[in-house]
Amino acid sequence: MRQPPLCSATKVKVSALHEKSQAELTQSLDQYKRELLDLKVQQVAGAGASKGSKIRDVRKNISRVLTVITRKNRDSVIAQYAGKKHIPKDLRAKKTRAIRRALTKHESTRRTVRQQKKDAHFAVRQYAIK
Amino acid sequence: MMMCATNKAQAARKAALKGVHGKKEKKEHTSTTFRLPKTLRLARTPKYTRTATPRFAKLDQYSILRQPLNTETAMKKIEDNNTLVFLVDVRANKRHIKDAVKKLYDVDAAKINTLIRPDGVKKAYIRLPADVDALDVANKIGFI
Repeated sequence: MRQPPLCSATKVKVSALHEKSQAELTQSLDQYKRELLDLKVQQVAGAGASKGSKIRDVRKNISRVLTVITRKNRDSVIAQYAGKKHIPKDLRAKKTRAIRRALTKHESTRRTVRQQKKDAHFAVRQYAIK
Repeated sequence: MMMCATNKAQAARKAALKGVHGKKEKKEHTSTTFRLPKTLRLARTPKYTRTATPRFAKLDQYSILRQPLNTETAMKKIEDNNTLVFLVDVRANKRHIKDAVKKLYDVDAAKINTLIRPDGVKKAYIRLPADVDALDVANKIGFI
């Protein structure tokens, strides 16, 4: 009467996941989640050996699939916003708050014409002194 | 023609000196209170989405039903009261649980009672309709 497990709890290969489409990935995700549920039920039923290692493998598989799904989504969004001025905030460089608010390289090298002339005419001389 | 000319000249002089907003129509107020006038409200057209990808739904049917209980009291409930006893996620409500049971095990729930155990885990008593046997469903799920 008991349903057999859908697939054995082996580690899924991420390279294999990358070849799948989004629809297939969500399908695999459902499959793994279902398997996890079944394993937990079996654990409660107390049948046979402990399911701990299998459960761990399935949990990690689920997170691998989720990682690949997120990676693909983010890559498509990055491509969509490539070359645009305003991009989503979590795709921008994080660095630190202070660095993000600091003057840009261009802004900090700006000089007034007056200052440029001063620098040109009254530059600090470099001497070679023995 | 001659009469209009001087008036025209005067009007032109006045317009040049004082500008042309001489007479303004006074609006009739029928109430003493001044209410906020209805202005144009534009919908948002964001230049970028705030987060790149939307987050996953963390509380899906798989994470709601955590595990069935097969303690002696729970078994009694299955046999006598036609109910299944599950440990569920604390954030799930009865509607979530009913939906999850429907999606996962294809069973309608007649009614659901929930309580939160002293150890912080939510327990759900899922009563099945009379035409469905809880024992059969439990066997099918696999935890008997």
